[in-house]
Amino acid sequence: MSERERDALPFGVVGFAADTTVQTYNATEARLSGLDPATVVGVPFFEVVAQCMNNFMVAQRFEDEAELDDIVPYVLTLRMRPTKVRLRLLATAGILRRYVLIER
Amino acid sequence: MTDVSSEQELLEFLYACPVGLIECNAAGEIGLMNPHAMQHLLPLAGARDASNLFSAFEQHAPELRSMAATFEPATGKICDGHRIFVELGLGRQGLTPKVLACTLVKLGPDRLMATLADISQQVVQENRLRQADTWFATLLDDAQGYAALTITPKGEIASANSCFLRQTGHAPADVTGHNLADVLSTDVPGDDMRLDEQLVIAGREGWHLQEGWQRRADGERYWCQRLVVARSSADSLKPRRFSVVLRDVPRREAATADLRRLLTCDHLTGAANRRHFSQMMAKAQGRWRDLREPLSLIALDLDHFKAVNDSHGHSAGDTLLCRVTEVCTALLPPSGIFARLGGEEFGVLLPRHRLEQAMALAEQLRAEIATVAVETSGGVLQVTASLGCATLEEADGSIDALIALADKRLYAAKRAGRNQVFDIRSDVA
Repeated sequence: MSERERDALPFGVVGFAADTTVQTYNATEARLSGLDPATVVGVPFFEVVAQCMNNFMVAQRFEDEAELDDIVPYVLTLRMRPTKVRLRLLATAGILRRYVLIER
Repeated sequence: MTDVSSEQELLEFLYACPVGLIECNAAGEIGLMNPHAMQHLLPLAGARDASNLFSAFEQHAPELRSMAATFEPATGKICDGHRIFVELGLGRQGLTPKVLACTLVKLGPDRLMATLADISQQVVQENRLRQADTWFATLLDDAQGYAALTITPKGEIASANSCFLRQTGHAPADVTGHNLADVLSTDVPGDDMRLDEQLVIAGREGWHLQEGWQRRADGERYWCQRLVVARSSADSLKPRRFSVVLRDVPRREAATADLRRLLTCDHLTGAANRRHFSQMMAKAQGRWRDLREPLSLIALDLDHFKAVNDSHGHSAGDTLLCRVTEVCTALLPPSGIFARLGGEEFGVLLPRHRLEQAMALAEQLRAEIATVAVETSGGVLQVTASLGCATLEEADGSIDALIALADKRLYAAKRAGRNQVFDIRSDVA
């Protein structure tokens, strides 16, 4: 999928490496969070960008499960407002990049 | 600098801020919060409402709601670094139990600001320091005023120094050959060790130190540090003698009754709080391990309490919680601890109680709660409770397992129709 196609998706897409460094951050997610992808890419995702997912419900699952495809209801703080969302957590053994998809 | 970049900067700052920041209204509805705050709140809220500060903390710090509600000044600090004990047991996989510090500030009639910070490590360190401090203080403080004794493993006094007379009013010559435990006439509130219990631990670990009330020969009460040290013996594994040092010290907690109450009691009901309960449970677990002293836990939850709050309002619900606490604490044995663990959830810790005794007390509590009646504008309010009992023995010494087992039985009592104590004999699971 091209970067342009990814930006056109109606939901947020965050792709990150095994060390949680953000590799892709699509336009939808940038708009919802108010963050410029240029400042997010290359930064540890759970420690800096999405601290609210840095718990056993999200971050820990990427640690524990090699194969992961699950949808969880969640509350994010997009632009500091509690926002109900659905998260899809994706990880496949053998592929280094993991994804969090965020739907409002 | 353009507006766009300064907004972006502010957002980045708030996203990355390593302290939880929350703004909410007087009812706790959250308007703004940063991710760090949500990181703590969401796992606690569970099925409850994570977008309301008080609902999210209902299980772990129910006192926050009443503290905010009873704060009268128009603006000001409601609490500063208020400690919230998130886990009661030793925590997931033996990790450090999680403790949050919450500061709550009132900005206006309908506007509150809260910060949340994880202080788990700090609390562990504090405990360690306090232990070391007590120990060093015993060694180093002014060398006057030590009463030193030598006793046999059975507790008989072999010798005592002259200071023993000054401190306790008993002449050494009169007490030699007597049992020290008889001479000391210690007041034993629930969590203090008896001398024989201290001897067991000192025999195994070399020493044991505790503070507590003692009485002098004339009946006067004084705060006393009691150090028991096992003396080494050349030929046997068992020590032949113990040294006992008694020190008449000012109460270190300097705690006026008020401060003590503030730290150990639930703000609304006056029952013990989670923090105190957690500490007492760890202490009791030690005694179970060291002395095989039985320990029981009753988990108690009021039935359909949410409906009470919904139809009669929080203040009627609060009154009911206070009345329930009153009648329950009146039934408790001296060493028992009645604690409010969450919204309408209570725990009763019963040192030196076996399961049958705990079950009997639970039945008394159930019956007494059913008699509580609160007059409200909408009629008389009554409530029942469901209860589950378990012992540390059954849980193989694990506090987490003990809580889980008592909870499991509590919910079985709910399923069986509420207003009852879970009957252990029907436990086939």
